[in-house]
Amino acid sequence: MTPLDHIPEDIRRTAAQCRHYAMCKIDYLETGLCPPAKKTPYVGYFPQGRMDLCDALAKDLIPVTEAAVDIISSCTLCGSCDRQCHFVTGMRPMKVMQALKAFLDAFQEKGEKPAVILEDEPLKALKNIVGEKWATNDPAHLIAYANDPFPLADRQMPGYVVLPGSADELVEIVKYADRSEIPIVVRGNGGSVFGFVFTRGIIIDVNRMKKIQLDPDNWSAVIEPGVTSFELQKAAAEHGYRVNTAEPAATVCGNIVCTGLFSTWANVYGVGADHIVDMTFVDKHGTVFSINDKNAPNVFGFKEAVLPSPGICTGARVRMHPVTDDEQGILVPFTTLADAVCFAKDISRRRIGLAVGILGGHYLSTFISPTLALAEQTRDVFSGILEMTCVVSVIGDKYTRRSIRQMVPCVIDSSTLKMFMLGLPQLVRSDLADIVQGLESDGPAYETVLSEEMLPVLEKILSPSPETIAAAVDEDLRDFYEALYSRPHMTDMVWLAMFRIVSARMSRHKHMFAFLIYVPLEPVDVIQELITSFGQIAEKHGIEHDLGFITPLDLGKRGILEYDYYIDHTDSKESEKIRLAVADIEPMVDKLSSTCKGVKFLKYIFSQGCARKENFLYT
Amino acid sequence: MLLARSRDNTAPEERIKALFDWLGPDGIPSCVQIVPGDLNCSGFGLSSTDYHKLASRVDEIIHCASDTSFSERKRAQIEKANVANLHHLLDFAAKSRCCFFHFISTAYAAGKRRGICPEALVDTRSFFNVYEETKHRAEMTAAKRCGREGIRLNIYRPSIVYGNSRTGKTLRFNAMYYPVKILVFLKNLYHQKHREHTRESDEQMGISFSADGTAHMPIRIEAAPSGGINLIPVDFFTAAFSAIMETALDGGVFHITNDTIKSVSDIIHYTQKYFHITGIQAVQTQNFPPGPQSRLEILFSRYTEVYRQYMQDERIFDNTSAAAILNPKGISCPDFDYRIFSRCMQYAEAVNWGNPS
Ligand SMILES: Cc1cc2nc3c(=O)[nH]c(=O)nc-3n(C[C@H](O)[C@H](O)[C@H](O)COP(=O)(O)OP(=O)(O)OC[C@H]3O[C@@H](n4cnc5c(N)ncnc54)[C@H](O)[C@@H]3O)c2cc1C
Ligand code: SF4
Repeated sequence: MTPLDHIPEDIRRTAAQCRHYAMCKIDYLETGLCPPAKKTPYVGYFPQGRMDLCDALAKDLIPVTEAAVDIISSCTLCGSCDRQCHFVTGMRPMKVMQALKAFLDAFQEKGEKPAVILEDEPLKALKNIVGEKWATNDPAHLIAYANDPFPLADRQMPGYVVLPGSADELVEIVKYADRSEIPIVVRGNGGSVFGFVFTRGIIIDVNRMKKIQLDPDNWSAVIEPGVTSFELQKAAAEHGYRVNTAEPAATVCGNIVCTGLFSTWANVYGVGADHIVDMTFVDKHGTVFSINDKNAPNVFGFKEAVLPSPGICTGARVRMHPVTDDEQGILVPFTTLADAVCFAKDISRRRIGLAVGILGGHYLSTFISPTLALAEQTRDVFSGILEMTCVVSVIGDKYTRRSIRQMVPCVIDSSTLKMFMLGLPQLVRSDLADIVQGLESDGPAYETVLSEEMLPVLEKILSPSPETIAAAVDEDLRDFYEALYSRPHMTDMVWLAMFRIVSARMSRHKHMFAFLIYVPLEPVDVIQELITSFGQIAEKHGIEHDLGFITPLDLGKRGILEYDYYIDHTDSKESEKIRLAVADIEPMVDKLSSTCKGVKFLKYIFSQGCARKENFLYT
Repeated sequence: MLLARSRDNTAPEERIKALFDWLGPDGIPSCVQIVPGDLNCSGFGLSSTDYHKLASRVDEIIHCASDTSFSERKRAQIEKANVANLHHLLDFAAKSRCCFFHFISTAYAAGKRRGICPEALVDTRSFFNVYEETKHRAEMTAAKRCGREGIRLNIYRPSIVYGNSRTGKTLRFNAMYYPVKILVFLKNLYHQKHREHTRESDEQMGISFSADGTAHMPIRIEAAPSGGINLIPVDFFTAAFSAIMETALDGGVFHITNDTIKSVSDIIHYTQKYFHITGIQAVQTQNFPPGPQSRLEILFSRYTEVYRQYMQDERIFDNTSAAAILNPKGISCPDFDYRIFSRCMQYAEAVNWGNPS
């Protein structure tokens, strides 16, 4: 038996399936972070990096090096990664960690010695700047910075990875790279999954730069570039504030620069420059500038072209927003997307609500379900039986909720949603579907099922409790899920919208390849046309697809629309399909953009994320 | 020949086979030939050769496909199934050598009225729901087109069809079954949770249980002073249909209905007795108390709203023409008594009201 035999096929498949959304880099379930990674935040020590290491060893892409031995040995088999990863992807990485240990044991038993990777000049120079521990050229580390599920780019091993501890060190690295003509790329948490953070040169990983300083008097927070959305939101929330963040594992600085940071909160908090009070960049030659400096390069303007970013953000002062203690979530169901868009536009225009987003059937069911199977069954019930094709999700104060109740015949309020969330397994199992299918009412079925008289019956059917929902997961995880869902915030729409820990579940079944387009919300035909075209192109190429979400912006004049294609990123045939589909999509969106005001492909906003939104929404 | 389409990825042959298997152990009789085709498409989605080949072999057509939904919201779908698709079939009939068209309609094509409804085409504009309306339009369409093409037409108008009176067997649990199903669903739900001692108080809903498991479900159901539900079992319908089809060779309109109308209180009585429920009562409209109803009553009436009309129906279906054919042959509609009710409910429970889970 060779060491490689200790990585059986199912383990290899799991390892290759890591989505690289970096959720294991934040302690979002309060399981504690992977202990070795907490001490030494190279990606390689995080479960994500370990999955890559396993994949690379299994494919014989790298030798067993000293770092590989260290990474594998450092795993305490504590099981945190199993819980974290299961929560979003349904995967169980623990068996990968165990296989790695078995692999290493077999390797050592055979008396084999790990390969020693020699230091070269650039590595010495980098270590000189950041210290011995924080720069490496060991392939066991590099492999974790070489790939993501983006289907249109190949694996690219960097030469070096360096983790600066301060802005000064970061600037020194940039200057060194410039002098030595070595390409550099800065990496937050790689969660863009768009092939952006790869180079043959130096990767600058900002994960040691995580300072947060709140400045409530100025409704702002000063952050270093390694601070994630989750961490900043947590700090702000502890002081009664909120920041506009999107994916929780994304670094705030990276997210702003990369996409302009959009979320359902963009309805009131905006995008791009709206988030920023100030940002400091170092350009590619090592020149540092603050964007508030009158002589600084203009990052607020927008040009419809694929441009490089202004530099590396070494720190930012971002806006914090006040919260009120009567905020709650509410979902408004609709049978047609057109009606949902019209409603979302209407409330945005009337300044009703804070975070507003139209969620397609897949998002809603998958966000609230702890397993893939339950998500699929839930969707069948929600869309197929209750006729809830989409919902408008709104976070707002009591005035918001009162207004909305007056505007629509029925809503799912926070307590009903909680009931669904904690009782889903019973919902799909019960005879309710059968009863509802016999309904011949003139309104959609959800209106009857969500009627006031029906709610106590629903509660009877669902028996909502942490125990009920925990019954949906693998037996050995049930205690954990039960304890998890006993925490009030796990079913609190406001908390979930702020911390977004469930959104990555959208890709539980397959990696998503997202298309984002700024759109006018009126006339709704533009959105319909886009959705139809995305659907047709996907069908043509045999790709699974679905509407993601639409969020109104700027008092409902514009919105941002996400349409997702789903692929198995480990299957080269699927990558080819995406390649062909993209060749159809780009001209389709460009054409619509040239003929229709307000249509802008996010592709052109990448790296111009600090721009004023008006400069791309209304040009 | 049996025209059938595929559905939910099941081929027509499979669907029909499943149906015959369900009916009995003999399977598809050898004289039945399944022709895959879809009434939704003009030309049934067949190639022109197949279409014409089929047309050249047809002598009579029985049209029994329809959408029996009542919901106004589904108007387009119902109109398509009940009217537009009939056109496709009539086009086909016109192109074929068909000489007799048998159209299965409904007694309720008579529309909104009280008193006697004749076995004739009646011009009416007022209906209780889109189902009645489209069936009426379909009758008119069939009559007009068949008249023009010289095709004889029989229109068969059953009232509300339930399962087999001898076996209780049925495929669908709507119409008469649905309100009963709701009551049983609520009873079982609260009974089970009651046993499990869940925290939620059943009082909120007003449902309580006595020691022997009898459920007290206080619901008042509005009922008309006269009238009630006209129910026929499917075995009577098929026997009557065959007899009329064989006998009425000049064409005509036939009510296949029950002379004995069941009152709402009878059905309530059967339901309570069979399912061990108390508290449900029929209250005549004029005595029905205004003002707020209980949660349970609102819930029940919400779910059964669409059937309300049929629970207090005051239409009387004249069936002189049908009776003239059926009586001599000894074909009569059984009274929907407790024995038959129990048989039907036994079957419903045995197959979990058609819900495999
Ligand atoms: C499931 C999922 C859902 C998502 N939903 C949203 C969403 O709703 N809204 C949204 O805005 N995005 C969304 N994204 C995209 C993703 O969150 C952003 O691309 C974000 O930038 C990722 O952050 P990161 O720190 O991981 O960046 P990385 O992937 O590491 O980097 C992204 C880009 O930013 C650059 N960059 C990183 N740090 C800096 C820095 N300090 N200075 C300058 N440039 C830098 C990188 O070089 C790269 O070009 C989603 C991604 C996933 C996987
Ligand atoms: S099991 Fe290993 S890889 Fe997973 S979190 Fe614990 S230490 Fe990290």
